Amino acid sequence: MRITSANPQLSPSPGSETELRLEGLWRVVVLNDPVNLMSYVVMVFKKVFGYDEQTARQKMLEVHEQGRSVVWSGLREKAEAYAFTLQQWHLTAVLEPDEAH
Amino acid sequence: MKRIEVKLALPVVAPLLDVIKELADSLRKNLAAPLELKDLDPEFREAWTDELLSTQNEEVSTLLALFDDDFFGDGVVAFDENNAEIIVRACAAVRLRLREKYLKPLGDEALESGDLDLMTLDEPLRKAFMCYLFLATIQELIIQHLDESILGA
Repeated sequence: MRITSANPQLSPSPGSETELRLEGLWRVVVLNDPVNLMSYVVMVFKKVFGYDEQTARQKMLEVHEQGRSVVWSGLREKAEAYAFTLQQWHLTAVLEPDEAH
Repeated sequence: MKRIEVKLALPVVAPLLDVIKELADSLRKNLAAPLELKDLDPEFREAWTDELLSTQNEEVSTLLALFDDDFFGDGVVAFDENNAEIIVRACAAVRLRLREKYLKPLGDEALESGDLDLMTLDEPLRKAFMCYLFLATIQELIIQHLDESILGA
C-alpha cells in the first residue's frame, strides 16, 4: 500500500529529514463529523481496532463531545494504515506525533 | 446466513433514488470524507486517494444496485453478510455528500439530532433530508441486525 515508506526502526541517514520526522510514535486521531451515526462509529471502532463495546463507545463519545479522540498510538507506518482504513469507512482521521513518548 | 429483507414504500423511496444517483455521480471523483493528512508524500497521497475513490465507487454502485427491476416490482431490498458492510459504508459516503451539497444550511445540530420539521423545508431540501434519514435508517437496520456479520468479515 505504501509508496514511500520510512521505517521508524531504522536509523535515519544523514540529512534525511523525512525519516527523522517520521521516527517515534504517532497518534491516530479521529475527528468529529455531524453525519456519521453513533452506532456506526462504535461499529467501526470495534471492527478496525478490535475494541470491546465499552471501549468503542467511550472513544465514540470522546469524538462526539470533544471533537476528537486518540484511537491508537504506535509506529508511523501502522498509524498510516489505520488512518487509511478509517478513511475507507468515511471517518476523518489525522496523525500527530505522540509527544508523551 | 443471516439475512434481513425490508419492504419499502415505493412511492416514498423512488423519488429519493434520483438524489442518490446524482450524489453517486459527484462521489465518482471526490472522497466523501476529506483526506486531512497534511504531511503525506504527494505520490502516496495520490495512490491513497485513487484507492479510496475506487472502493467508494464500488460501494455506491452496490447501494444503487439494490434498487433494480426486482425492487420496482416488489419494493423489497435484502441485506446479508455479503453486502452489509459495503452498503453501510456506501450510506455513510452518500450521507456525507448530502451534507456537503444540500444540508449545510440546516446546521450541524439539526443534522445530528435529525429533529426538523420537514414541512418547513422547501422541496429540494426536504427531499435531500428525507434521503439523509432514509440512508440512516438502512444503516441502523444493518448495524442492529448484522453487526456481528460485519465484525466477523
